[in-house]
Amino acid sequence: MIIEIDGLKKSFKDVKAVDGVSFKVKEGELFAFLGVNGAGKSTTINIISGVLRKDEGTVKICGRDLDKETDAIKSELGIVFQNSVLDKKMTVFDNLKSRANLYGLFGKEFKERLNEICELLDLKDILKRPVCKLSGGQKRRIDIARALFHNPKLLILDEPTTGLDPKTRINVWSVIEKLRKEQNLTVFLTTHYMEEAANADYVVILDGGKKVAEDTPHELKKQYASDFIKFYDQIEEAEALLAKSGYKLKRHRDFLEAEIKGTAEIAGVIKNNPEIFNDFEVLKGNMDNVFLKVTGKDLAEV
Amino acid sequence: MNGKILECKKLVSLVGRNTKCYFKDKFTFFMSLITPLILFVLFVTFLRNVYIDSFNSAFSENNLEMPENIINGCAGAWLMSSILSVSAVTVAFCSNTIMIEDKINSAVTDFYVSPVKNTTVQIAYFISNFFVTFAVLITVMLIGHIYLACIGWYITVGDSVMIVVDIICNILFGTLLAAVVEHFVKTQGGLSAVSTLVSSMYGFICGAYMPLSSFSEGLRNTLSLLPGTYGVGIIRNHYMSGYMNAFAEEMRKLSVEENVINGVIKGMRDSFDANLYSFGNEVPIGAMYGIVLGTCAVLLVAYIIIVILKSKKK
Repeated sequence: MIIEIDGLKKSFKDVKAVDGVSFKVKEGELFAFLGVNGAGKSTTINIISGVLRKDEGTVKICGRDLDKETDAIKSELGIVFQNSVLDKKMTVFDNLKSRANLYGLFGKEFKERLNEICELLDLKDILKRPVCKLSGGQKRRIDIARALFHNPKLLILDEPTTGLDPKTRINVWSVIEKLRKEQNLTVFLTTHYMEEAANADYVVILDGGKKVAEDTPHELKKQYASDFIKFYDQIEEAEALLAKSGYKLKRHRDFLEAEIKGTAEIAGVIKNNPEIFNDFEVLKGNMDNVFLKVTGKDLAEV
Repeated sequence: MNGKILECKKLVSLVGRNTKCYFKDKFTFFMSLITPLILFVLFVTFLRNVYIDSFNSAFSENNLEMPENIINGCAGAWLMSSILSVSAVTVAFCSNTIMIEDKINSAVTDFYVSPVKNTTVQIAYFISNFFVTFAVLITVMLIGHIYLACIGWYITVGDSVMIVVDIICNILFGTLLAAVVEHFVKTQGGLSAVSTLVSSMYGFICGAYMPLSSFSEGLRNTLSLLPGTYGVGIIRNHYMSGYMNAFAEEMRKLSVEENVINGVIKGMRDSFDANLYSFGNEVPIGAMYGIVLGTCAVLLVAYIIIVILKSKKK
């Protein structure tokens, strides 16, 4: 296990930001941490990275106890913050150099690592440009380069794609996927985008500082999310028939949506009522549904 | 690599980064430089003649007339000592922008997640602010010395060296005071408010804009309790010493008796704060250095305690 957290607690005066959270992250996996603002995600990340002190609980990163080996743990972590924290007026090179020095990378060692990182993230052309002159996607690549410069085992991404356009978001994810494949990097992700969480190996959902659900996206969907059938033809007939059987229905302008418990149930409905299945589609429940069911909150609205 | 050497290398790197960040923002550097230069222009434009008249009257009381270049130079030197001692503190407060900006844009969090000690990060802010303030003050000093060379230069090589030492002492005091006060500032607005307050008040309460001798006894004694007063005192001593010697030499040429010369010079030193008094007792220059450097030591301890306490509070 690369992260082992047990009974983590942190309060700010009367507010319990993190209230007895426990979870584990396996090496090499993409781990997603979900929750609305104030759920305790950032507080947990800040404790893991040594920015905040915990009140209670144990935190082990790469087998090391956070209370005893904070500096050694910091060398194993790379963090990409939600907003870029690099010096905007300085060049990419100066930024990477000043941050690399903090990890003890000087002179030849720095140059060698710089060449590796430039190759990995395709930075050569922008090294001499000030950060403020870069595009959103380029800035994100520099943030990732800064986080990876010291060769960490664990990359923490705090809402890395928030505010980015869809194309840049895809680019950022292709870089992260490349790193995972080539370097077996463990990625700890917090995100508001459910489609990103759906690609994770394991998901923990926080609400009000407490863990409310955890599992693989597939298991979470199985446990909490319903599937749907959309009828585009014979809508009236389908509505009458399914209402009689007690299905939860929602009428849209040109289709009818029926909530069903699982794919096995769909097969039964199709077999018994083939006449209404002329034009339809079956949709699997997604992480939005899971989040809504578990927390009672719609992440898109909060 | 040895842990302490590595931490020192990180400190040097952070100081370099902070200083580079400061000078990359040309507007901030320009504003830091322009403030003492505006003060210089205002002094020369509006106050120079007032002080020239004061110096002249000190001699005319004794029916003496001094060469214009010594009088002009002495007034200029007095103004320079005021500008540099005030700017050492006000520029230090204004130049501490990197520390505040790092809090605002969370760059300081980026340092906290790195394996570098919080004390190293904070000391780096202090050292880089010292360098930036020193660069600004040396620039102002050079401009001022060109001005003095044009109107009347009577500063010895020894005093010139001591002026640089005095500037360093004043900057040390200013940057430490700024580090302690601005450690609690978290916004750009807060920094502006503190800088404005210090810029407008400090020159008066340390006796730089007006000589303490022109204040009432009660106020004079109160201000003599503030260490900034002695920061002005040390630099004023070395700026004025050459001119006082030149005045004495001129009086000797006029066959003025030695006791009269001493009386006139003492009167001028008293009137223009080269001699400082606390509750009626003259404070020797060695004691002035002791007070300034002692205050620096107290501020340094206070700063370290604040940094340690804040780190524990997280």
